[in-house]
Amino acid sequence: MSTESVIEIRNLSKVYRDFWGRTKVKALNSLSLDVYKGEIFGLLGPNGSGKTTTLKLLLGLLFPTSGEVRILGQPAHDVEKNERIGYLPEESYLYRFLNADETLDFYGRLFKMSRSELKQRKEELLDQVGVKHARKRQLKEYSKGMTRRIGLAQALINNPDLVLLDEPTSGLDPIGTRDMKDMILKLKSEGKTVVMCSHLLADVQDVCDRIAILYRGDLKVVGNVQDLIQSRDETQLLTSPLSPDAIRDVEETLKKHGASLKSTSHPTTTLEELFLRTVEESEQRPGRRFEPGERPTTESA
Amino acid sequence: MFGSDSFWITLLLRWCVVGATTLVASLLIGSLLALIMHGGRAPQVIASSLGRAFHDLVFLSTRRIGAIALLTFKEAYRRKAFAVGIVFLGIFMFGGWFLGDSTELRSVAPYISIVINSMWFMLVPMALLISCWGLPADVKERSIHTVVTKPVRRSEIVLGRMAGYGAVITLILFTTAVVGYFWVVRQVPQRLSDQLIARVPVYGNLKFLTAQGAEAEKGINVGDPWDYRSYIEGQTKARAIWKFPKINKAELKSLGKLPLEQRFEAFRTYKGQIDLETRFTITFVNPDKDLRVPGGTFPTREFDVGGRDRVIEIPEQITYRDSYEADAEEKTANLFDDLIADDGSLTIEVGCVEPQQYIGVNVRDLFIRMPDKSFTMNYVKAIAGLWLLVMLLVFLGTASSCFVKGPVATLLVSSLIIMGYFLGGHIAEQQNQMMLMDDGKTVIDAGGPMESLYRLVTKETTLPDNIGSTIIKGTDRGAFMVLIAVYNLVPDLNWFNTGELVATGFDISLMGVILPCLIVVLGYLIPLVILGYFSLQLRELEHK
Ligand SMILES: Nc1ncnc2c1ncn2[C@@H]1O[C@H](COP(=O)(O)OP(=O)(O)OP(=O)(O)O)[C@@H](O)[C@H]1O
Ligand SMILES: [Mg+2]
Repeated sequence: MSTESVIEIRNLSKVYRDFWGRTKVKALNSLSLDVYKGEIFGLLGPNGSGKTTTLKLLLGLLFPTSGEVRILGQPAHDVEKNERIGYLPEESYLYRFLNADETLDFYGRLFKMSRSELKQRKEELLDQVGVKHARKRQLKEYSKGMTRRIGLAQALINNPDLVLLDEPTSGLDPIGTRDMKDMILKLKSEGKTVVMCSHLLADVQDVCDRIAILYRGDLKVVGNVQDLIQSRDETQLLTSPLSPDAIRDVEETLKKHGASLKSTSHPTTTLEELFLRTVEESEQRPGRRFEPGERPTTESA
Repeated sequence: MFGSDSFWITLLLRWCVVGATTLVASLLIGSLLALIMHGGRAPQVIASSLGRAFHDLVFLSTRRIGAIALLTFKEAYRRKAFAVGIVFLGIFMFGGWFLGDSTELRSVAPYISIVINSMWFMLVPMALLISCWGLPADVKERSIHTVVTKPVRRSEIVLGRMAGYGAVITLILFTTAVVGYFWVVRQVPQRLSDQLIARVPVYGNLKFLTAQGAEAEKGINVGDPWDYRSYIEGQTKARAIWKFPKINKAELKSLGKLPLEQRFEAFRTYKGQIDLETRFTITFVNPDKDLRVPGGTFPTREFDVGGRDRVIEIPEQITYRDSYEADAEEKTANLFDDLIADDGSLTIEVGCVEPQQYIGVNVRDLFIRMPDKSFTMNYVKAIAGLWLLVMLLVFLGTASSCFVKGPVATLLVSSLIIMGYFLGGHIAEQQNQMMLMDDGKTVIDAGGPMESLYRLVTKETTLPDNIGSTIIKGTDRGAFMVLIAVYNLVPDLNWFNTGELVATGFDISLMGVILPCLIVVLGYLIPLVILGYFSLQLRELEHK
């Protein structure tokens, strides 16, 4: 993975205001972040933490209150850079009176692409996202998952170098989710950069190289997924089910070695654990930022 | 009016002045806003966004504009906008009812008017609605997010939308126009079908002589509150004098005659024999040769609606006598060689024959009637005028929907239409004249809003000579300028009213009517695209 930044975010803040200029929401506070070429970057956070806002700022759909953004080396408002970007909005904001064929034709024609190239790309994508059988039906007749699929196809129509996906798996069935993950990994193998928001942490853990966790507009955690979920100051033992007596014995043994048993539980997805702890910790101690590699701790079991 | 070069220069000049003023004003406001928002970085921000704007407005991609236009068209089509056309067809099916008993009709005008007017009433609201509501819905549903994150310029969105709506309206207009044409041709009773023509009038200027023989701008007002016509009394020195500048001598000569048409109106002070019509005389005057040649005496035929009997044909060779004395020598004059003045103008004097009767005339009541043109072509030109009007509305609607929501945009354009019909350019002209007359002193006697307020409060009749009054006058002047600016921005929609002409059988001049309308529409298109572009560019496309 290179260290060439595809996205540079510097002290980016966004305050939503109403018509009269009064502050409604501080959606993002002084966010600084880099996304490198060729990686899959996951943007996590609870609902309303500012993930979508960040993506919209990157695409110039929103104007920053302060701070700066460079994407593919260009400012957010530059239109030319969009030739190399694919974007899947949070909800597939498509024209519901068009059918799948017309949708891809329409978006494709907005790019510098020859007709034959577009035609070929369209066939490929309709096949890949699995809506080929419904290509002549208007999108208003599509189910949510089908709309999501054609939304993804639309994002990839220009064979982009950078793909921004806002909750790509929302509304997809398990097979669809797996297809989506495969597709994201395929993009990476082609040297593309992917930024995605998601609530499905297992999926994020599977595909993402690096992640950032936002909480109410603040960046709490950013770093390599493996580093983040691998804890240096804790050891997790995985055993067959233990009786309460046995647990007490283990505790004794640990005490002898100067360690303590912090919690006993069934193992969880570690990213999920990290996420939950980050959120809990942030609720209890607002304003604290966790350094890469450092793992938020919590007493609650 | 339209033909003269000076008219075009004035129009172009006005366009430039209004455009430049608007541009400077928006630049000032924009700079101020940038200064507030960006502080010291404002100059940079302004420079970069202007540079971008230039690039975005000049280097347009027809492929992308076409894609957006096609999308817009499909949207209207799938949302059943074309159903409106059906309503129109309904009007034709039952159109006969509106006209009443066709055997009573003496003119074809109602047939043509019903077509043109129902097209107007269908297409104008439709142009307004589809163009005003499309983009705001796109923003509201956020489908525009998927579009603007593609390499499409906001200017291309504006143009594509305009083109798409334009195409929808054009298609409906074209279809209904064709249906309307055949309806007219088939419905008009045989006996009136000779009225389906396009007369080509050449109009002159009108002056008067009073009953005492003095020159005057107007004749007598007979108490008609609508002073469209003014009147000349019979058996006096009162005359209505038309001067037709720049006569096309060659074309008339090839006709071998001078066809005139009159639409005079008689006014009786006593009830004569009603079927004995009031008559008038025609005299040709060539001041250069000191020639006065009588052209004949004719009845007014004021009850002839179609105008067939109101045509007077003067032969090229006129035989006349100098005086009424029986032994007066008979002379001949060649109408075109002897009676056209050296500057190429022809002067015709009209007098009323019957004593104590009056003849009412308007400058348009006497014209040289050049060979008729085809009704079909004229109908096409009328439709072209209507088409240009609805295109202008589509452009206005699309541009305003870039910065306000659908209902507000509709309201905005509707008020522009109303102002465009009722104020049009008239007020702007008046205001401009007032500006011209202004020699640095107060233009309006009562003062502007501020001055009147001051006078009202203090009960003074004049302003004191101090700083305060300078400020008051300055503010008033500013308010006055804003008023002028607003009036100047309103298009004069009366220009586009071509339906009346085709209905009454007058040729719609391509150079004189259609071309000016086209230029007006183009004149609005450019600033409107710029306006729409900046509205989309400087705005977060989030629904609020
Ligand atoms: N158009 C808007 N106007 C006002 N506030 C907004 C707007 N869009 C988002 N917000 C607010 O900004 C904050 C961040 O919203 P954002 O959509 O970025 O969250 P998110 O992380 O994408 O959430 P989710 O996981 O639910 O998609 C929220 O508090 C939200 O209410
Ligand atoms: Mg979101």
